[in-house]
Amino acid sequence: MRWISAQLSAAFRVLTLVGRFSTGKARLKSVLLTPLTKAMRRVYLDHSATTPPDPRVIEAMLPYLTEKFGNASSVHLWGQEARAAVDRARRQIARLISARANEIVLTSGGTEANSLAIRGVCEAAASHGQHIITSTIEHPSVRGAIDSFEKQGWEVTRLPVYGDGIVRTEDVRAALREDTVLVSVMLANNEIGTIQPIAEIGALIRAARAADHRHLSFHSDAVQAAGRVAINVEALGVDLLSLSGHKIYAPKGAGALYVRRGVRLVPQQIGGHQERERRAGTESVANIVAFGAAAELAQKEKDARNEHTRGLRDRFESEVAARIDEITFNGNRELRLPHLSNISFRFIEGEGLLIHLDMQGVAVSTGSACSSGTLEPSPVIRALGRDEELARGAIRFSFGKDNTEEDVDYVVEALVHAVTSLRHLSPLSRQTAAVT
Amino acid sequence: MSYSVTFKDHIAHPRKAGELPDANATAEETNPVCGDRLRLSLSIRDGRIEAARFLAYGCPATLACGSALAEMLEGMAVEGALHLTRKEIVSAVGGLPSRKQHAAALAIETLRAAIERGKEGGQ
Repeated sequence: MRWISAQLSAAFRVLTLVGRFSTGKARLKSVLLTPLTKAMRRVYLDHSATTPPDPRVIEAMLPYLTEKFGNASSVHLWGQEARAAVDRARRQIARLISARANEIVLTSGGTEANSLAIRGVCEAAASHGQHIITSTIEHPSVRGAIDSFEKQGWEVTRLPVYGDGIVRTEDVRAALREDTVLVSVMLANNEIGTIQPIAEIGALIRAARAADHRHLSFHSDAVQAAGRVAINVEALGVDLLSLSGHKIYAPKGAGALYVRRGVRLVPQQIGGHQERERRAGTESVANIVAFGAAAELAQKEKDARNEHTRGLRDRFESEVAARIDEITFNGNRELRLPHLSNISFRFIEGEGLLIHLDMQGVAVSTGSACSSGTLEPSPVIRALGRDEELARGAIRFSFGKDNTEEDVDYVVEALVHAVTSLRHLSPLSRQTAAVT
Repeated sequence: MSYSVTFKDHIAHPRKAGELPDANATAEETNPVCGDRLRLSLSIRDGRIEAARFLAYGCPATLACGSALAEMLEGMAVEGALHLTRKEIVSAVGGLPSRKQHAAALAIETLRAAIERGKEGGQ
């Protein structure tokens, strides 16, 4: 077992070394997977979907995939090693959001954390009221969980975000009712990156609770914001807050829900004593260790990462604005995550642009989908009041710590080429000219 | 979703893109549900399609199907074009996932509309 671990570690160190000599660790996998005959540059600009695991994070988790394989619930030495690792990771994750370690419930990821928060709180508070307040731009995992209560007869108020993608605290105040048991508003949006006034809403909820609204809870999905925005759960006034490891350079498979001490939650996964009876199931120790290591790195490196990605994003946006006309930037450009840019390109459709860019080695994403003849334009872009054409032509570019200025320059060229090609084909475009 | 090499080639290098200034059979059809549009212009002489051009807005499948259709049509007899099927368009782009088959249906619909309007116009 030790031999396997040593080999894996050695192999990983070699790969890491190769990565350092290449143009960026993020592209290491791409470099290895790209046939030598096709030396196309590859640029990953989809860090809001997932991030490439940091080699330091992988190094931290490797022993827990090999010799330290114990079940954290076992009493023997192997179990104690695993338990200690899980506890350490729990403290690292708690520190990222200035919480106590015993307020962290470890989950399989952000979706499970959101589901546990919403279903857990609503089921616990159902006898006190059946009204939920949320926004129109929540992640599908929040939207889905809340929709399921609406189907059961609960009432839901979905707050507008106006043209800038920001919820207004006054709207939350106006929507509060005696039977409201949950307010769920994300900290930062996953498609346009807009940062919501969570501390203001949190203060409002606290005041409402103090005025005899005892069964009201406040949840915030911080999956996109964590590691990019300073989070202090006390200052924000949240009762529940969702996190995910793979958005901060850990592998997929671990997330967490902050549950303020005293908040009642009905467990959604039962049949074990793990996570203080709030989430049964053997802990994914290696993934949790990775999440903990990633959380610690995110906390230490947040400012440097933000400065780096903001620089790249701003360079990208000014180049795009200078070279491509008929574009619209989506979301408030001040109150947004530093690594993200969402742009609508008129006359063309996002999926076509995405594939064009993919063929040039550039990875981005679109919130719209055309499936079986049914169009599902991004609900987030639609919520901004954009027409259908702009909603269909929206693309998210999300930068990461390993991207470079050369990446930005390459993507701008690829984008200009793709937009020009697609507009040339578009019957909507004024640029269309006869070609013989 | 992974598209075929042929499909990607149609996206990267669309065939017969644009409009014919001397077209005598044209149509622009829209999928009313998803909003995809395909515009086809044909130059028909003596029952044969001498030239074809397309413009498309929508998902990549609609662009690829428009490109494949316009390429297939040049030199084809009008009667033969009327018998083209959705399946042949799908095959010409190297296959389509089931949820994108509507793009081939739009191509056939636009083709038939263009020929019909051409006939009405005297061709």
